[in-house]
This record gives sequence, structure tokens and C-alpha cells, in this order.
Amino acid sequence: MSKKLEKKAWNPYLAGALSGVVLILSVWIAGKYFGASTTFVRSAGFIESTFRPEAVETMEYFQKQVPKIDWQWMFVVGIFIGSLLAAITSGSFKWKAVPPMWEKRFGSGALLRGVVAFFGGVVAMFGARLADG
Amino acid sequence: MKIDLIYGLVTGILFGFLLQRSRVIRYDKQLGALRLKDMTIIKFMLSSVLVGMVGIYLLHDLGLVKLSIKTTILGAQIIGGLLFGLGWGLLGYCPGTAAGALGEGRLDAVWGIAGMIVGAALFAEAYPAMKNTVLTWGNYGKITIPGILGINHWIIIVVFVVCGLVLFRWLEKKEL
Repeated sequence: MSKKLEKKAWNPYLAGALSGVVLILSVWIAGKYFGASTTFVRSAGFIESTFRPEAVETMEYFQKQVPKIDWQWMFVVGIFIGSLLAAITSGSFKWKAVPPMWEKRFGSGALLRGVVAFFGGVVAMFGARLADG
Repeated sequence: MKIDLIYGLVTGILFGFLLQRSRVIRYDKQLGALRLKDMTIIKFMLSSVLVGMVGIYLLHDLGLVKLSIKTTILGAQIIGGLLFGLGWGLLGYCPGTAAGALGEGRLDAVWGIAGMIVGAALFAEAYPAMKNTVLTWGNYGKITIPGILGINHWIIIVVFVVCGLVLFRWLEKKEL
């Protein structure tokens, strides 16, 4: 299999500025600012309601952030799709379980990387919700 | 309501495309910034903030958009920020970029996303206990920098833009 060369990365200033324009248009047209972490609360609520719906209904935080598909939920799905499209059209889509920088320091074991990523995710999201970010 | 969902999807696709093409969703880029070795994501984020700040305040002054000012709660934000940083350093993706990383085939993001859903569930469990404690410590309400200083917001915007450009120049000189 010939390895296709990945297209050159876009200038981060330009791509960042364009993201700023996308944000401005979003606030103007839809009245929505960017965010992602509430989506994880709603998703947790969805999952929990499959095995303990009565708890989810009474929990205060799930009354504040009701499990439902909203603008932000679709925004996060959109990031996935947008990245997938960008990766395929630039020849940079690659299944990879361990990032290069991690591999250099901790080896190519996917389990260690997975466990650390999981616990990192738990702590990061708890912090993000606490800070209301 | 339904149009909202379409707006969300389209906005996410555009943003995800830009994130992937500039490679800022990668673990190596995010850790590169945390290790002060590669400032690509700082360039991306700060460019986005500066452009967004000017555009949104302009539209706000024209009466076309509403600001979304979050409440400043020092206790919650300092402790939450420290926890977020610790977790981010371990995971190497933030909530939005984890979805993007999965989009370009990075399977470790699946573990991160699962962890973040568990973290959100734990927060929901802990919320009643924190509501009257840490979530009230140092609550200053919905404050802004121009509001505290009692000056026109455009002074602050100009200062931020100038500082941002000076930082960018310095980063380029240091080849970070």
C-alpha cells in the first residue's frame, strides 16, 4: 500500500480567524455561542435513563441540563463529521490508537494510553462542569 | 427548534473542518502547547478569540446580538480550572476536539469521550453537595473587565488585540 502524502497544514492564524468568523455568524444567525461540555452531561443523562430513568428524572442537575438533542449536541456531532470530511479529502485520515508523542515516551501499548485517556476525560469533564466551561 | 439543530450541525461541520485542516485537534499539538514546545493551538485559539471579540461586540453595539456573560465564581472556576487542566494533560483532547480527533481516526479519543461522559455523570451526582458550597465561593455575578474598570469596551478590545499581535510576533520570532 502506498502511503499518500498528507496535504500541508493550514496556517493556524488563518484557520483560527476563519473559526472566529464562523462563531460571529453563529451568534448572529442562530444566537448560539460555541461550547461542547454540556453535550456530555446530556449524553450521560441519555445513557443513565436507559437503566435508571427514575433517578435521572429526579436528579437536580439533569433538570437543569435536560437530556435532549439540542443545538450544541448537533454542533459536537458536526465537529466529528467536519473533521472526518477534512481528513478524507486531505489524505490524513488514519486509524491510530496511540499518538506519536505518547508512543515516544510511553510505548505503543493501546491499553495504557486508553486507561490514562479515560481517567483524564473523567477529571477534565468534572472540572469543566465545575467551572461552567 | 428544528432549524436550531441544522444550524448546530452545519456550524459544527465548518468548525470541525477548520480544526482538522490546521491539525489543532491532535494530541501532539495539544500536549505541545502544554509543554510550551509548539504554540499552534494558541495561535489558532487566540486568533479566533480576537476576531470573534471584535465582530461580536460590533454586532452587539448595533443591537443585533446578545452577549452571553457567564457568572464569575472564583472557587468553582479556580478548582474547576485546575481539574480541567490536569485531565486535559492526561487526555490530550478537550471536549470538542475529542469528537474531531475521532473524526480523523484517533481511537484513543473513544476512551476520552467515554471518560468525559462518566465525568459528567459524576458531576451530576455531586451537584447537590456542591451547589451550596464550592459553587458559591467567591461569586461576583456576571461581571466583565470593561464593567469593573468602568470604561468603554473598545478600549479593552484594542488592548487585547495589540497584546495578541505582540504575542504572535514573539512566537514567530522564537519559532514556537
